[in-house]
Amino acid sequence: MKLSIYFLLILTFVSCKNEPKSKLPETIEVNQMALKYAEGFSVDYYENYKVLNITKPWPKAEKSYRYVLISKENMAKTTFARNEYDAIIVNPVETIVVTSTTHIPALELLNVEETLVGFPGTDYISSEKTRLRIDQKKVRDLGQNEGINTEVLLDLNPDVVVGFGVDGVNKTFEVIKKAGIPVIYNGDWVESSALAKAEWIKFFGVLFNKEKEADSIFNQIESDYLAAKTMAKKAESKPTVLSGAMEKDVWYLPNGSSAEAQFLKDANVNYLWSETTGHGSLALSFEAVLVKAKDAELWLSPSYYSSLDQLEKANSLYTNFQAFKDKSIYTFANKTGATGGVLYYELGTTRPDLVLKDLIKIAHPELLPAHEPYFFEKLK
Amino acid sequence: MKTNHTYSFIILTVILLLCFVTNISLGSINIPFSEVFEILFGTSKNETWEIIITKVRLPKAVTAIMVGSGLGISGLLMQTLFRNPLAGPFVLGISSGASLGVAIVILGSGLFGGFFATALISKWSIVIAASLGSFLVLLAVLAVSSKVRDTMAILIIGLMFGSITAAVVSVLSYFSSAEQLQQYIFWGFGSLSNLSWEELLIFFGIYAVGLLLSIASIKGLNSLLLGDNYAKSLGLNLKQSRFIIILATSLIAGTITAFAGPIAFIGLAIPHLTRQIFKTSNHKILLPAVFLFGAIVMLVCDSIAQVPTSDYTLPINAITALVGAPVVIWLLVRQRKMMF
Repeated sequence: MKLSIYFLLILTFVSCKNEPKSKLPETIEVNQMALKYAEGFSVDYYENYKVLNITKPWPKAEKSYRYVLISKENMAKTTFARNEYDAIIVNPVETIVVTSTTHIPALELLNVEETLVGFPGTDYISSEKTRLRIDQKKVRDLGQNEGINTEVLLDLNPDVVVGFGVDGVNKTFEVIKKAGIPVIYNGDWVESSALAKAEWIKFFGVLFNKEKEADSIFNQIESDYLAAKTMAKKAESKPTVLSGAMEKDVWYLPNGSSAEAQFLKDANVNYLWSETTGHGSLALSFEAVLVKAKDAELWLSPSYYSSLDQLEKANSLYTNFQAFKDKSIYTFANKTGATGGVLYYELGTTRPDLVLKDLIKIAHPELLPAHEPYFFEKLK
Repeated sequence: MKTNHTYSFIILTVILLLCFVTNISLGSINIPFSEVFEILFGTSKNETWEIIITKVRLPKAVTAIMVGSGLGISGLLMQTLFRNPLAGPFVLGISSGASLGVAIVILGSGLFGGFFATALISKWSIVIAASLGSFLVLLAVLAVSSKVRDTMAILIIGLMFGSITAAVVSVLSYFSSAEQLQQYIFWGFGSLSNLSWEELLIFFGIYAVGLLLSIASIKGLNSLLLGDNYAKSLGLNLKQSRFIIILATSLIAGTITAFAGPIAFIGLAIPHLTRQIFKTSNHKILLPAVFLFGAIVMLVCDSIAQVPTSDYTLPINAITALVGAPVVIWLLVRQRKMMF
């Protein structure tokens, strides 16, 4: 009796194993999105869906993310092995929540800003188009970035949340994912060159099935940037440049391999620390900066200081620099939106061409007589 | 015995002078020793070096002397007043009061906007807020101490004030922007530099008043060592002495925290180090000795923090604790007990 039960059990297992698997549909990769500069993401096209790979969501990321993007019609016909992808997103996306102001210009350039339904800290947004929608209560404020108000977000129930991570540890995003709302990491800020950062507009193009538009917008930005760079080479002089300001005892400056330094190089100026390399910014003592840059002709982006008076009040040592005496200090801190968000932080990533032109206008005004600076302003 | 101390004082003064000269000749930029003297006597031709010595290193060295000596003295006053070896400006909540004041100015702009937002950058608003904060906390401690006889209870209350301020600071931090948080955190690292001569003059004024008050309370401090009742029997006005001692401490520690940030370790450790070396509890000797010792230790710590010949500097707070704490531990282990 007992033996027969064992026998039966074994038989059941064996027969289970032999049952034929329900096979996933065979798919063939059609092609891959052409990317010129960006290294943090890639897009594979299949016959009726596409896969977005985020390979570098944050510095030192060990994990990459894969998202399936598929239309509603095809969704009904196709089965995916869920554990192979981080999320399956129906596109074009109809409602979206982004978490960084750098994502806003991409939405606007692609003409999909009306899909934005929520943002953490709406006061940081400067764009007039989106500000109007915020005033009309069409964009909900989700509170602070690190502590996004999950209840409000779940209530909004957007098709996708575009987040960004510093190290991949974000409890809020985990909660959102568990609630079934896909979170895609945007790693534009990890890219090492300005054009690579700008190319992330194609990432948004994929979400909205607007690859062509994104492509042509980026090509325009790229060609404008490269044209400005070529023009800057014609300049006869190469002004010496100092950057940053002190936070207590430490003077922070962009290192020579940073995207900021790349801008300065392309603007054909002599950035005094262009030879340095490394991650993050340089942290130097006042003495070290003074010896090297006392006679620098230009001083760019002195932290958040917005006037000469403020700079002097914060530390009278600043007055010893020639650039201070000549009032040749330029900042982007003064160009802000209606609620105080700094325009440069919002638009600068997507429009490096404008940033470069601003810098050329400052360093070589004769080359761009008609250009009205977009971000930078002389410190008064 | 007395001549012994005279020698010690002479030696300490010489060491202080040496440390002072060493401190101003060391830094990221290598300036030859001869040039340093030329600059001090106004005969140098190198403008950059002159700026570095006269506007950066000299004010910093003077600040170091005031901070080291002042924190040491206020630690000594607190330890004697509360008859507790753990007392010091940090423990009593003076530094936490200052931190709260600064937090309200720097971080509060997010919550209050308007006035605070515009006052954000001004260094003076931070100084005033820190002084007010520490003074208010000390007043509270003072009010409590008039009700509560037990000095241990007062210490605990001081610690509790610290916890309350920390809680308020975390609420403020939660609503602050990254830049504001960064500014507040950097203030917390402590810094001896960035003071102009005008600021130093004001700093010195308040510090000097505090110093005079503490000299005036030497007799009271000595009698307090023998206990409240004994001090009373000596004809000491206990309430008045207590008030003067606390006022002196809040003036000294408050302004130091305001101008240089919360500097760790010095206030607690210097009095102990001095007692170990001078082997006395007479404040007539202890007070000047703590002054000299505090100044020397701070100058040495600052010289290390500048990481001579490198382009980098370290936060002074890291150095005071890293250099100082092991020394205290070593001394205590060697002596096997704390002189108090």
